[in-house]
Amino acid sequence: MNNRSGLLSTISAILLFLVLASLSILLVVENGVVQRFRILGTARDIQAWGWTRTSNISSFFNLRSENERLVAENLLLQQRLARYQAADRQLDSAVFLVEPDFSYLSATIVKNTVDRQHNHLVIDRGSKDGVEPGLGVITARGVVGIIGAVSDHYAYVISVLGAGQTVSAKLAGSGAFGPMTWPGIRPDRMLLQEIPVHVQAAPGDTVLTSGYSTIYPPDIPVGSVVTARVSQGSSQELDVALFEDFRTLHTVYVVRNNHQPEIEELYEQVP
Amino acid sequence: MNKSHSILFFVLVFLLQLVISNYVNLGPWIMLSLMPFLILQLPVQRTPHIVLLSAFGLGLLLDWLSAGVLGLNAFAAVVAAAPRRLLYRRIINNDRHDETWIPLLRDAGFGKYLKYLLILTGIYLAAYILLDCVSVRPFGFILVKFVASTLASTALGLLLGYAFQRRS
Repeated sequence: MNNRSGLLSTISAILLFLVLASLSILLVVENGVVQRFRILGTARDIQAWGWTRTSNISSFFNLRSENERLVAENLLLQQRLARYQAADRQLDSAVFLVEPDFSYLSATIVKNTVDRQHNHLVIDRGSKDGVEPGLGVITARGVVGIIGAVSDHYAYVISVLGAGQTVSAKLAGSGAFGPMTWPGIRPDRMLLQEIPVHVQAAPGDTVLTSGYSTIYPPDIPVGSVVTARVSQGSSQELDVALFEDFRTLHTVYVVRNNHQPEIEELYEQVP
Repeated sequence: MNKSHSILFFVLVFLLQLVISNYVNLGPWIMLSLMPFLILQLPVQRTPHIVLLSAFGLGLLLDWLSAGVLGLNAFAAVVAAAPRRLLYRRIINNDRHDETWIPLLRDAGFGKYLKYLLILTGIYLAAYILLDCVSVRPFGFILVKFVASTLASTALGLLLGYAFQRRS
């Protein structure tokens, strides 16, 4: 009798183990991190409120470096503005108004990870600010990630520093482009792949976003080439040192492609 | 250590794990986890069903509160909790049947306690790292991360085990 109840207990424990393990794997496979952000919205907001407080404390100690970064970014923007003003003077007789391709929204990071295989950020902008899943997140010195989920006041960003995340990037000189992925070791390095072997890539060459995806604007400087090597005999792999330091990231921009609905509509027309 | 102190210690270790998961960045090679120690801290005579459910709940709570990938810690905790009783009987068994007894360093002996904690930590981290990295990272990276994380987490677990027995 005892043997039978012992056997039943063992079998039920094994079944319970299988159920719980399968449930866990299902959550991982279904990218539960994004789903979790969608559900329990109020609890998530409370948690994000806590992250905001701790983020405020750490940003206080980083004020000097943040200030220096903003000064550099401001200088870059002023130079860009000057170029546009010069171009505008030449075009002042034009009668048409060009709608900008992308619109931007600044956001502050309240949570950021760089040491995991699937990194993420949480920013203090949510659906009430017009943020939606699928929008890109950038800085003046690179791409950061894609909005994965939103609550009313916060958004979850899937970092480019994550397994399976790809950014379309190109070499500034030749324009040769390929997918750029994170090898998972250093948060300041990525790998630009599928560059043809005949393209000369030297250390120090700038890498830019290609603009071939509808998520990120083209020509954002992302990093510079460190080393190049031939991969599988047919293409090159380039180690890219990122300009943006993800460990000290504080302010980002959510970017919306204003033509995205039109592009998606076009895709839907293709059989 | 009475029951309330054990519970308080358990909660404090879980809070420490939350702080580590949210604020301690040791780079891609080392992952510090106190979850195996927490699984070890569950009373010995609890049925496997309760241990499995407790481990799953703890793992899920950690995943949620540390904003990691939901299910990763839960999976690893369930995998580590499953052989716990078997490991305990094989390594530490000293015929204690007190319902709330939790193995102490001094009762089990340093060698046996270390072996028990090391194997439990190894199982936990193997499950976690494999599910997190397999097919997206090279085997060498996975192996180094597993070894470094197991050693570091076991060392931290030993320190906590020492602190726990001093309080008892």
